[in-house]
Amino acid sequence: MGSNLTNRVRALRDAHDRMTQQALADAVGVSRQTIIAIESGRYSPSLEVALKIARTFGEPVESIFSLGDDAA
Amino acid sequence: MRDLSFHEKSAIGTLIALWFIGIFYFHSVWDLWQAGQLHPASMTGLATGLTILLVIVLIGYHIVIAATARPQQEDERDRMVAWRAGNIGGVVLGVAVIGIVVQVLLGGVFGQTFAESPMLIANALIAAVFVATVVELILTLVFYRRGI
Repeated sequence: MGSNLTNRVRALRDAHDRMTQQALADAVGVSRQTIIAIESGRYSPSLEVALKIARTFGEPVESIFSLGDDAA
Repeated sequence: MRDLSFHEKSAIGTLIALWFIGIFYFHSVWDLWQAGQLHPASMTGLATGLTILLVIVLIGYHIVIAATARPQQEDERDRMVAWRAGNIGGVVLGVAVIGIVVQVLLGGVFGQTFAESPMLIANALIAAVFVATVVELILTLVFYRRGI
């Protein structure tokens, strides 16, 4: 179980004035627990949520999420 | 408890309440059966009373967790967890029901007593629903904690 995606959501939150998980959850439209699960790799978000996270941070989605087995 | 969503808290409370009330119910049914008192009236009274108790406990519990936690809409992860746990619970229920039908048709561990007793068949079906629901709730908690 768990996700094969890695992500930089936690780092990006810290870089955006230490945005809280709740603030990101509200911006994206999911629960705080879902943000926690995404950050810890326990849940792979849908494309819609991934794009909303990318839009919130102003970054392309591929710079936030990547496959865990990516060499680069 | 702070990092648990409303849905996780709901699943935990429902599982605990269902477990204890279910065990009490089946223990009582077993005692009635052993005493030869497993009649429709006694079983209906027991089932009705415990169902009302379960509903009251769950309503009270959900009022408490709704009052102490930030209200939240069900999101895509909640729906995914519910769908996957419900699917597996449905398979468990289906297998159990087919097993009961086979028991009724062929006899088996309970012999002809099982096929000749509507009360036993009814309780076996209730047990199937109970087990499937417990499995679904446990899987819900596993999926929330370990990921899906």
